[in-house]
Amino acid sequence: MLATLTKYAAAFNVGLQSNLVYRVNFAVRGFFSFFHLVVVFILWSSAYSGNAAIGGYSFAQTFTYFVALIVVQFMIGAFNEDYQISEEIRNGLINQFLLKPVNYFAYRFSIYVSARLVTGLLILLPVVVTYPLLKDYLAVPHDWWRLALGLPALAMSALIQFGIAYCFGMLSFWLLEIQGMVILSMALESVLGGQIFPLDLLPDWLFRISQYLPYYYQMYFPVAIFTGRLNDPAAIISGLGIQACWAVAILMIGQFLWTRGLRLHTAVGG
Amino acid sequence: MTLAHYARIWFTSARYSIVRTLMFRGDFFIWALVELFWMTVNILMVSVIYAHTKTVAGWTKYEMLLLVGTSMLIQRFLMGFFWSSIFEMGRNIRSGNFDFFMAQPGNIMFMATTRKLDPDSLINSLVALSVVAYSAHQLGLHPSLLDLALYVFLIFCGVVIHYSVLVLCISAAFWITSAQGIEGSYFTLSEFSRLPRQAFVGVAKFAFVWALPMVVVSNIPAQVLLHGATPQAIAWILGITVAWFATAAITFHRGLRRYASASS
Repeated sequence: MLATLTKYAAAFNVGLQSNLVYRVNFAVRGFFSFFHLVVVFILWSSAYSGNAAIGGYSFAQTFTYFVALIVVQFMIGAFNEDYQISEEIRNGLINQFLLKPVNYFAYRFSIYVSARLVTGLLILLPVVVTYPLLKDYLAVPHDWWRLALGLPALAMSALIQFGIAYCFGMLSFWLLEIQGMVILSMALESVLGGQIFPLDLLPDWLFRISQYLPYYYQMYFPVAIFTGRLNDPAAIISGLGIQACWAVAILMIGQFLWTRGLRLHTAVGG
Repeated sequence: MTLAHYARIWFTSARYSIVRTLMFRGDFFIWALVELFWMTVNILMVSVIYAHTKTVAGWTKYEMLLLVGTSMLIQRFLMGFFWSSIFEMGRNIRSGNFDFFMAQPGNIMFMATTRKLDPDSLINSLVALSVVAYSAHQLGLHPSLLDLALYVFLIFCGVVIHYSVLVLCISAAFWITSAQGIEGSYFTLSEFSRLPRQAFVGVAKFAFVWALPMVVVSNIPAQVLLHGATPQAIAWILGITVAWFATAAITFHRGLRRYASASS
């Protein structure tokens, strides 16, 4: 058990170091996110002018949602894991894992966790620095139970995020190029995951349907718990149940694709 | 070299791109779908916001859709005619493959930025055009022939301005060779083009309406269809088209002097 942990701790450490090396990439992404937040601010403040509330939420509540969304994206978002996995399959780099007692999923997941630990902590810096500017436009609820329910939701969202990226990466066993499909899925994820607008602003029937899809649990669910868009603890607990089912289902699909894909895989050279 | 010579080079490149697309039809289909999905995302966002409010910065739902459609139209043309070439330019500068363009008989900026066509984006420009036409129909607009001609001309200027901004962003690779993902700066700026000009106040108005071109580039053509053209607005667009293109050309050629082949 300890030996297994040490093995993946080493992968985690390598991931940590390589992410600290690419600090500039983080700074570039952080800078773009700031401008995206400016667009969100301008658009939604104009939409709110003359409306005290939209969908039952004040401007501060909606803006808080978008700020939290960016922070959570840096904490759990799978940015290019699918692409990295795809490259490792295409270039034959996975061959080394087939000959060693290393579980490829656990290896990639360790690297993902270390990468998000770095970006998740670094994103808190600009948030703290700009807080005096933002605080008048933010409305953060202070209920303790939000933390107790939101943190497990966040952890499972991370699993779903990584799991979906892993499944897309696995498609490289069958397809030469996955980039188009990844971006196609990204469009779907950004709408149904609540990144373009809070999902509760959708027509009621569509919002209900979205609650049964995995995208809802990818981003919207934890963010809505933390920012006060979901307020019924009992409904949140049942949401956690659905989220757990999706997490397990996606991990199983990933495992299935790995086993089937390996049957097709031809290790040349390496 | 004459204009006819450049036209011949461009047609040859275009023919090559189309033949290539016909060879990879599945790829064409996927990427056309990708762009269609992202355009739908923008339209959906407008629909959702307007389900809860009547106006945004004084713009009604279909006025806003007309603006978003105009912005998409300009971007589709940019993507269709220039994106692949300019995106690859950044990579080529880093890898040293840019040498290939230095040896070609023609203006290097022209050769490097017009080599590839993306028919998937060009097909989707029809979707963007449909959004504009549908919104105009819903608003009961009957623009005069002159207004329509001006709209087409302003879209052309818009493509030139977007092209210049993109060339400027990617030219950064001449100076900061490790700047991967620098093309993201263009997409971040282009987000502003879907917002109404009246939504900007204070510092944001100075930065995004006066200093940077993205907002006016989509707002002015949309306003020509909605309320007719004003000489000031046309002069404004013409002025910034010349200014941004000149800045891009000068920066590109300055950058070219720094290019040191494979070691750059």
